Amino acid sequence: MKADSLDSALQDRPLARFWVNWAVTFGSVLLCLLISLLRLPGMELAGIGPNWLLIWVVAWSVKRTMWQGALVGVILGLLQDAMTAPSPTHAWSLALVGILTARLRKERYIQEDFISIALITFGMAVVSETVMAIQYSFQGNRSLVEIWNYHQLIALSSAILSSLWAPIVYFPLNLWWKRMNELEQQS
Amino acid sequence: MFTLHRWWNRYRFQTLLVGVALGSAVLIRQTNGALLFEVYHLVAGVFRPNPVQENLLSNAQLQELQLRLTELEQQNQRLRDLVGFQSQSKQEGLLASIIGRSADHWWQQVTLGRGSNDGVQIGSVVTAPGGLVGRITHVTPTTSRVLLLSDPTSRVGVLLSRSRSMGYIRGQASNRAVLEFFEKGPDVRKGDVVVSSALSQLFPAGLPVGRVESVNLNKSPAPEAIIELSAPISSLEWVVIQPPRLSVQPEENSDQPQDAGQKAEPQL
Repeated sequence: MKADSLDSALQDRPLARFWVNWAVTFGSVLLCLLISLLRLPGMELAGIGPNWLLIWVVAWSVKRTMWQGALVGVILGLLQDAMTAPSPTHAWSLALVGILTARLRKERYIQEDFISIALITFGMAVVSETVMAIQYSFQGNRSLVEIWNYHQLIALSSAILSSLWAPIVYFPLNLWWKRMNELEQQS
Repeated sequence: MFTLHRWWNRYRFQTLLVGVALGSAVLIRQTNGALLFEVYHLVAGVFRPNPVQENLLSNAQLQELQLRLTELEQQNQRLRDLVGFQSQSKQEGLLASIIGRSADHWWQQVTLGRGSNDGVQIGSVVTAPGGLVGRITHVTPTTSRVLLLSDPTSRVGVLLSRSRSMGYIRGQASNRAVLEFFEKGPDVRKGDVVVSSALSQLFPAGLPVGRVESVNLNKSPAPEAIIELSAPISSLEWVVIQPPRLSVQPEENSDQPQDAGQKAEPQL
């Protein structure tokens, strides 16, 4: 019922709809940023938690174009830099994740959502940690053996955890964007 | 020109939004996410227990040990006075709770619930029950970020308290670190206590760091030992931020053999 009333309230007001849509999008990014500082019990494996920003980028890019994916990847990458340290930057890894996820064009081949999103997140987590490891290798202030040993550990743990938690971010957001899209088309 | 105009009319809003989003992301990054950490502090504050209620020193044995330590420190101070040593009156540190961990997996950082409003400064040394933990790298009004000893970029000049062999440690995630010795044949055994050395510019001398877990004397270019950090970094909830006077200890003597403190500067 509540959803219906929201629908009707937003249907005739494109501007309000626009702002509400952006507020929800922005709020979910903020939530992901803040959660990434937390390590809740059951949410960590060997001290490593899920990569929430990566999950968000995957959720965003799955049904969008390559450019939209890349842009959001860069923005969220800069935000993650702000939370840790600017060098090496996370912008490359998340931008690549956005591009690749959009290029998969999942909805064309698979209708099913639950497992495919988890699988995509799993792969993208490995990709993003690998991009980070390559950047560290070029930076040259750690030994290569150390970097790539550590990469194995975090790529695997982060991929497992991120893929398991991905639906929590993906489903509500996807539902929201879908509804907003429908409203857009109706009006 | 017409197509450009049409494009602008159609996508003007999106373009502006993307510009704003990119701009604010860059701004947040330039300010090291100060705004985000403030918001986090605000939100996390709802779930945090009151620091006054937390009684860290409830253990009776711990209290006894501390009393004995105070007694010994005072004796030490009196002996130093006798030999004319410059007195160093003890200053209380600032108790801070850990409100967040690192936001990605490559950095070993924690976020503390105290900031510049409480007098925390960049470079302040952070300790915990057990020993040295790390150093403050960023400060916002109510939070501060600590680069942990277990981070690979954090390097500290140390020595073995038994044999005085010197070296520096390099973090290795979790609660391990690698000690690289300066000399070829160091006198080191499993179980030796590692403390920060007087050569370190960023950390005060004599703070406990950890214990030697295993030794590899054949390692090239320098012998190495694996150190188990004595502070339980992965399960810490409270730490003590040392007062700045104790934290920064510039060495005037420039003809030191090799200053590990210089290496300790994290490359951020």
